[in-house]
Amino acid sequence: MKKIILATLLPVLLVSCREPEKKPAGNDTPSKADTPIKVLPPASNYTNPDRSPMDMVYFPTDYPLLKMTGKTSVPPLMRIIYSRPQKQGRPIFGGLVKYDTPWRLGANESTEIEFFSAATVAGKTVKPGRYILYCIPQETKWTFVLNSNLYSWGLEQNRLKDLMQFDVPVEKTNLAIEYFTIACEKRSDKSTTLIFLWDDVKTKLPVSF
Amino acid sequence: MRKTSLLVCLLVSFLFSFSQPSKLPEVDKSPMDVSYYPNNYPILKIQNKTAEPLAARVLYSRPQKQGRKIFGELVEYGKVWRLGANEATEIEFYKDVKIGGKKVPKGRYTLYAIVSENVWTMILNKDTDTWGAFKYDSKKDMLRTDVAVQKTDEVVESMSMFFEKSTTGISLIIAWEQVKATLPITL
Repeated sequence: MKKIILATLLPVLLVSCREPEKKPAGNDTPSKADTPIKVLPPASNYTNPDRSPMDMVYFPTDYPLLKMTGKTSVPPLMRIIYSRPQKQGRPIFGGLVKYDTPWRLGANESTEIEFFSAATVAGKTVKPGRYILYCIPQETKWTFVLNSNLYSWGLEQNRLKDLMQFDVPVEKTNLAIEYFTIACEKRSDKSTTLIFLWDDVKTKLPVSF
Repeated sequence: MRKTSLLVCLLVSFLFSFSQPSKLPEVDKSPMDVSYYPNNYPILKIQNKTAEPLAARVLYSRPQKQGRKIFGELVEYGKVWRLGANEATEIEFYKDVKIGGKKVPKGRYTLYAIVSENVWTMILNKDTDTWGAFKYDSKKDMLRTDVAVQKTDEVVESMSMFFEKSTTGISLIIAWEQVKATLPITL
């Protein structure tokens, strides 16, 4: 009997020992840490697309499409440019993204936010213009920071150029989000909730114009 | 056995359908990218290695060749092309520059091209934040300039744009398939 139990347990034990190396289902890309910095100079002038691709978010949502289809005739209010890292089975907050340490809200370059008119962000007035946005995550609270150090790589923040901070609570999602995502949830034509989602964490930043 | 795998498939697809809120933006097939002059400016900046100020930035989306014939087919000759995919390609100058002998004040512009076999007509247009070239309006052109194209040795899979230093300033290089266009910009 003992032998049988051992024989049954052994493969289970072996499998569970190997468990940490197992790739998540449906993920064919290797699980590796993000490249912190681009290789300089590039091996070829014609580089491959980034592993954490860049993306753009407008408010009103999909503004360029609205404009193309003639559904808007007013200028856009806000634009965010960020890069989208993937979870790839890794624990993100408190793991890959350390608590109490500035995080670029993405990958590669610092995340850029541009307000095309004066805005109110979480109750504070922000002048029109282009800024970088990063955050200092904690388990239950994120501190968002607007900073003026534009066109900088996101690994280092120049804290001397911090302009404004906004504390927001952390919410949990039911299921893990694979790609870091920034999106606008419309509240009215002139106000939106910026949502930030990755892994099982969701934070919100209200913006109105 | 068949029934079991069918059941597993159903279960997996059921779970997947709930794995992410359906409204979330997906990752683009033709991902966006950015190039600067000076090259890699953001990295140089945090390393305190910038020798000259940021002069230009181009934001574009990168379609892939994927075995298709690009110029003359996917990108038709004689038609206005958005120089990429998705949103129209944006070029921003952080100082006044000159293109094709014409002064271009600093600011954001949309860049298009009319492609033919031996020459590309580059179009700098003042209508920004738009999608593709579907609503291209020549009345909003800042300038048009013809540039020569060359053949590349290698086949470029992902459409690429980057800046190079030249004798008169900088050049914006645009390459895809085996075609390379060079737009001279005087700083």
